[in-house]
Amino acid sequence: MSDQKKDDEIYPIAVLVEELKNEDVQLRLNSLRQISTIAQAVGQERTRSELIPFLNDATDDEDEVLLVLADELGNLVEFVGGGEYAHTILPPLTTLASVEETVVREKTVEAIKKISKEMGEDQIQEFLYPVLKQLATGKWFTSRSSACGLFSICYQNVDEETKTELRQLFSDLCKDPTPMVRRSAAKGLAVLVPYVGRENLRKELIPLFVKLAEDDQDRVRLLAVDNCVALSKILTEDEFITYVIPTLKSCAKDRSWRVRYMVAERFCQLSEPIEPEVTKNDLVEVFIGLLKDNEEEVRTCATLRIAELCGQIRVYQDVIKDAILPVIEELSKDFSDNVKIALAASVTELAPIIGKEMTVEKLVPLYLDLLKEDISDVKLNIISKLDTVTQVITIEVLASTLLPVVVELFEDRQWRVRNAVIEYIPKLAIQLGVQFFDEKLTDLTMSWLKDSVFKIRQTAARNLVKLTKVFGSDWCMEHLLPHIFKLLEEPNYKIKQTGMYSLTVLAPELGNEIVTEKILPKIKNLKSDKVANVKLYLAKTLKSLLPYLEENTIQQEVKPCLNELAKDEDPDVKHFATSALNKIS
Amino acid sequence: MSSFGAIDKILEKLENCLVPTEKEIQFVCLKARQIFLKEGNTIFLKAPITICGDVHGQFWDLKELFEIGGKPPGTSYLFMGDFVDRGYYSIETFLLLLTLKVRYPDKITLIRGNHESRQITQVYGFYDECMKKFGNSSVWRYCTELFDYLSLSAIVENKIFCVHGGLSPKIDTLNQIRLIDRKTEVPHEGPMCDLLWSDPDEKTASWELNPRGAGFFFGKTVVEEFQKVNNLELIARAHQLCQDGFQYSFDKKLVTVWSAPNYFYRCANSASVMKVDSELNHSFKVFDAAPQEKRNVKLRRTTSMYFL
Repeated sequence: MSDQKKDDEIYPIAVLVEELKNEDVQLRLNSLRQISTIAQAVGQERTRSELIPFLNDATDDEDEVLLVLADELGNLVEFVGGGEYAHTILPPLTTLASVEETVVREKTVEAIKKISKEMGEDQIQEFLYPVLKQLATGKWFTSRSSACGLFSICYQNVDEETKTELRQLFSDLCKDPTPMVRRSAAKGLAVLVPYVGRENLRKELIPLFVKLAEDDQDRVRLLAVDNCVALSKILTEDEFITYVIPTLKSCAKDRSWRVRYMVAERFCQLSEPIEPEVTKNDLVEVFIGLLKDNEEEVRTCATLRIAELCGQIRVYQDVIKDAILPVIEELSKDFSDNVKIALAASVTELAPIIGKEMTVEKLVPLYLDLLKEDISDVKLNIISKLDTVTQVITIEVLASTLLPVVVELFEDRQWRVRNAVIEYIPKLAIQLGVQFFDEKLTDLTMSWLKDSVFKIRQTAARNLVKLTKVFGSDWCMEHLLPHIFKLLEEPNYKIKQTGMYSLTVLAPELGNEIVTEKILPKIKNLKSDKVANVKLYLAKTLKSLLPYLEENTIQQEVKPCLNELAKDEDPDVKHFATSALNKIS
Repeated sequence: MSSFGAIDKILEKLENCLVPTEKEIQFVCLKARQIFLKEGNTIFLKAPITICGDVHGQFWDLKELFEIGGKPPGTSYLFMGDFVDRGYYSIETFLLLLTLKVRYPDKITLIRGNHESRQITQVYGFYDECMKKFGNSSVWRYCTELFDYLSLSAIVENKIFCVHGGLSPKIDTLNQIRLIDRKTEVPHEGPMCDLLWSDPDEKTASWELNPRGAGFFFGKTVVEEFQKVNNLELIARAHQLCQDGFQYSFDKKLVTVWSAPNYFYRCANSASVMKVDSELNHSFKVFDAAPQEKRNVKLRRTTSMYFL
């Protein structure tokens, strides 16, 4: 090989060396992001023999830089020659696994796991295991902490003797004097559980799990809950009852609210894989304890999961009725707003689970109380899912109980509550049928078109379209159009605009004939309005209606009108009129 | 007309609370300046119109205001100054209003508040926000240069006089406002300063010194005289926080309109806009701050996102 060629091949690395000495962090970062390109340029052999060793020495830098380095190292497997040589990347990663900054260590563990996926069993035994052992017995807590993340990928791929050693190392880490290491171990335990086999699980891991659940640091104890979830997926019923439930119960009564909160958070994930009978016998009382917890956050978290849990034990209706419903009634009087908001969110989904009779007897009074609360999020949460409830109960019950309260909300102070009610109306319409709706609700629905809030007027107009889809265009013609035409004659310019907007969105439902014969004449009257905003809106409306009009109507009726508007002194009226005329030609 | 395409693109960014590029901001400021040059010190406006007070960089609350009052050009607006400072989104807020002004100059009017000033914005947040979001002061310079071109006042149908602060002992008639050379940084004293800094005070007879250190306190006799001489029905102004969003003074001869709900993210006040109809009847629409879920902005990624 000539010197020239040698230089060409070394050159990219030399450039990298220089760039990594630069003072500017940005430049160093940018160079590191190019490592894959450099590795590709110099080829596999030189990557292994020169690039990686150089990077091993570059591990003394700012944390930002190290983070990128760890990330890039994880991508280098193909450039060192594939899985067979993946282990050559381990040295710099091993160094990075011991640095102070947690984020860098976590990225490093990720990178090691990534390259290990490419390694065969032999390589893992020969190369990864020694690294793990070195880290696990390291002097600094940082390396021991990183080691915890590597157990699961190592364990699957080594021989029996090594597996025993690994379990011993892991056990030592679970008893480490430093809380940070015990935390990482607790996290690592959940991942390791599926691989150790039933006997080792019972004899070794479960005692470790129990010990960590009694750790004096609450941040370690709360990880026990995730371990419970992992165990619930593997153990048999009896094993779960014997080994996990006692720990779970003590976590649910832990002195630290964070641990109790974790139990509430993961509750349904825990109970899902196990038999409803076990849930009913052992877990329901735990859950109820959380619903009555002193700490608001815990109560809120548990409350959000009421419906899901009841869904899991729906065969046991009497348990739901006797144990859970009374607690729900108490929660509706909770002094915390957040609890009530959470209750409102989950309690509507309970209706299909407990059936019509129970819903009418127990839940409907609860809904009525919540709908009378002053907290808008409570009302919003109930209204937005009210159709779940109304599908369960009969129309008579709906009409006599919930409907009057909902009707009161039509005029709620909070506009977002009114908005939610409007969105709910079409679903209600389907259930009530046209006659009932006309008697009670049509007028109220129309009054929203005059609401003082712009967004409400828009939603109300679009609501008319949904109603027309339910009741038909004849109904719309008879009941809605007369009202809308009256809006065009209101003195307030915004109401006129709402009228025009309603007609625009209804046009597709009503068809060309009605648009031409009924709608067009009415809106054309607005062309001499005194207010420019009305005229520009008219121009926009005419443009939107063009697809529903015949050619000769357009030429004879619309074009002259637009031509007039195009001569208006207001520039915006001119603009929209001209835009509409352009669409015609 | 052809430049509307560029303006519409910038408008779309701003509607989503995205900061335009420096070049885009420069472009909008240039266009806006050409429009402001044609406006006198008192702008004549037609009813119906919706009149708004301070917004102070509270972008999501401005969006809430538009949800409630509708947007230009469907609704016509007058904003009485103090678009920047204190809120976290002075740039997005001011640029949204400005771009709407460029797009629909006849449907939205902006007049100057005391915060539209180089000195004030260096103390109360706008300058810092520009430095943080752009790394240099160019945007701040474009905007503060543009502030000098903003009109000082407006009048609706010759009956409702609108100004950010209040009245001045040096100004008895509307004609006198015409004589002011407004294309300057807000002075420390004098009629232009007073218009942007004065406050009404029920306990004051005519004029008192203003504890703010600029402008005056003015009383009932002054207001009655000013209205009589100039044939006015109402004076509308902003400049002072109102817990209920608006506040009448002097037997409803003057009204303060405040449009920044939960001011400075801590005052728990309501805000309002004043709707004036074709017959010059006015009414108030009171509203509260946009709820937390509506205030999401895409997290801006910087190179150092790590240290949690």
